[in-house]
Amino acid sequence: MHPATPPTTDAPDGRAHRTPLPRRRLLRGLLAVTVAAPLMFGAAACGDDGTAADPNAPVKLSIFWWGGDARAKLTEDALALYTKKHPNVTFEKTWQANQGYFDKLATLTAGGNPPDLFQIDDNYLAEYAARNTTLDLTSYQESGKLDTSKFPKSLWQYGVVDGKLAGLAAGENTQGLVYNKTLLTKHNLPEPTTGMSWEEHIAWAEQVTAKTKVPGTQDPSADYKALWVWLRQQGKDLYRGKELGFTAEDVTRWFELWKGARDRKATPTADVIHEGNSSDVTKQLVVTGKSATSWVWANQMPDLKKNTKDELGVIAYPGDPSAQWARASMYWSVFKGSKHKDVAVDVINFLNNDVEAVKLLGTDRGLPSNLDLRRVVSDDTTDPAMKQSIAVEAELTQKFGESPQVPIKGHSKVKSELIKAAENAQYGRATPAEAATQFVEACTSAIA
Amino acid sequence: MALTTAPDPTRRGPGSARAHASRRGPGRFRHSEGLAGYVFLSPWLIGLMGVTAVPMLLSLYLSFTNYDILTPFSEVQWVGLANYERMFTADPSYWHAVRVTVTFALIAVPLKLAAALGVALLLNRAWRGVGLFRGLFYLPSLLGGSVALAIVWVNMFNRDGAFNSLLSLFGITGKPWVNDPDWALETLMVLAIWQFGAPMVIFLAGLKQVPTELYEAASVDGAGRLRQFRNVTLPMLSPVIFFNLVLETINGFQGFTAAFVLSNGTGGPVDSTLMYTLNLYITGFTDLEMGYASAMAWVFLLAIAVITAVFFSTGRFWVHYSDGEER
Repeated sequence: MHPATPPTTDAPDGRAHRTPLPRRRLLRGLLAVTVAAPLMFGAAACGDDGTAADPNAPVKLSIFWWGGDARAKLTEDALALYTKKHPNVTFEKTWQANQGYFDKLATLTAGGNPPDLFQIDDNYLAEYAARNTTLDLTSYQESGKLDTSKFPKSLWQYGVVDGKLAGLAAGENTQGLVYNKTLLTKHNLPEPTTGMSWEEHIAWAEQVTAKTKVPGTQDPSADYKALWVWLRQQGKDLYRGKELGFTAEDVTRWFELWKGARDRKATPTADVIHEGNSSDVTKQLVVTGKSATSWVWANQMPDLKKNTKDELGVIAYPGDPSAQWARASMYWSVFKGSKHKDVAVDVINFLNNDVEAVKLLGTDRGLPSNLDLRRVVSDDTTDPAMKQSIAVEAELTQKFGESPQVPIKGHSKVKSELIKAAENAQYGRATPAEAATQFVEACTSAIA
Repeated sequence: MALTTAPDPTRRGPGSARAHASRRGPGRFRHSEGLAGYVFLSPWLIGLMGVTAVPMLLSLYLSFTNYDILTPFSEVQWVGLANYERMFTADPSYWHAVRVTVTFALIAVPLKLAAALGVALLLNRAWRGVGLFRGLFYLPSLLGGSVALAIVWVNMFNRDGAFNSLLSLFGITGKPWVNDPDWALETLMVLAIWQFGAPMVIFLAGLKQVPTELYEAASVDGAGRLRQFRNVTLPMLSPVIFFNLVLETINGFQGFTAAFVLSNGTGGPVDSTLMYTLNLYITGFTDLEMGYASAMAWVFLLAIAVITAVFFSTGRFWVHYSDGEER
């Protein structure tokens, strides 16, 4: 084709005049390639475990996460830094929005092609760990290759599933009640404070609705994390071992609490509450102006801030804040069948404990898990929304209780059943007791 | 490349071999033609096997297992008919999804066909600019399965959407259509009906086939417009109606995209838009019960096959083919 190529290629003209030799050679060459290619790839695939023997052997590590452009930029920078320090390691990076992320991760895993290293959250960690998909990081932790010595203990423990360290916290966050400061100031209303009881919160919200005509609080009865905190304040929990940590009576009281709030107009109407039940930050009622508060995760503050001009504040959920805990906002997990386990673990260690990398990543995945580096980052940050959520988290850290166990297999179904049951009560299609009974029944079969 | 030339008579490429074979007799000729046919078909055949047939059979197998998508195939456990049993006896949300889907299809499909036929009749005249109107009415169905359209729909039928603003001009207070469990499915139906363009175009083509002599003869006999429609248009159009009915029913049962987008993938509010395929998707991908979802898929396939068979068996009573042959 190219003028410089030797005349062995399939030039259309004149070939009849040539000796058959080049053609035969070509065919033989093609055959050789066809046969050899799989062998070569196969050999390459087999040779990968040789990284233990030869630390400089080239490694291509696939890595997959969810998030927006900003996170992608930060992560790519941090990974480039790793490559700079370990030139033999390069990354195959894939990322996408949260919506559909777990569908894709499951499909990749099913197709036998999961990423070596992937981001995961507590909704799915147990699902994956229970199915033996994640590498147990315990031995790396013990040998110090994965350094958690500077982590809050409860934070790394929140990655333990059935005695195995299934994922390492990529950052810390906690439940956050976000409220619209601008609105409150405009109407001379007091700001809510950490430690208010649930009754006080609802009374406060009622007052906000009356004065501002904006419903005071988003009804969180469909929100598993709000239910979870409330349960822990009652000495219960979402899960106890492989079972539910609560009864239908508990949920009835929870639904009744919010039915009371709706009746007192402390919350928006059912259809508006439904809009806010979406996990999408842009649809949170506090940023769409349909409610004065939203029940979110504290590390979502900067994202929320991007969607509103109003000043936002964040505090703990009502009730005793010791019911909250240092929650892993998300984890890094290694695929159990990965050919580059050691390198993948080293990358996790790097992303969490290397000062430059942690500074690059900032608080995008929550507060840095490494407490020493968290201090460095919080001194560095200029983003006011992030400053605020760091301050709140720092304040709450003193009050945090023990971490609960990571949600069990079937948790995603439990979450969707809670939304269904709570909405049934919100739309007035069921009484709180009926909805609670239905919810507990559905959960029991979901986690069986 | 070897097929193009045969440079050396002592070394025959496949091309020359075939030339020889073709000279030997018709039998061999046909054989090699057939072979070439298969060779040319092979991309499609490989596609059919790889992308359709094998996965389908695999899903049939998986429907008898507890496959959860994360576990390797080699470790899945055979559970016999447990998935099917659970579906029919122990899963209220399954039956809920069936009810939602059947309701949707029973209402949306006839209305969509009626709209398509009505507009096709109007556009079958020789107006000025009728082509423009045909294009405009066809447009929504071009956008058919699109996510963008569903998003537009959600925004139009919100509590503070365009539709309610329109209603308020007439002093009517609207509803939060898409967020009201009593109205969300109806809103989806309106979206489906609005996309009547594809059956409309087929109806138009059918209408063009009706011989004008029949109308002339009918009007000579004193038949009015309505009578002409009932006794000439409908019977002549019945094969096209049949075709559209079968196609749109299948489409209606498969409704997914709009329900997915409108409910953020949950089938909400309160499961009011939990269409069969959406339920199946949630079961497979969110709840990680792919074996059970496969069983749902196979029941769905059988149900659609049965419905189609019923249409075909009743068709002979009302579908008339112009050549007089009853099929």
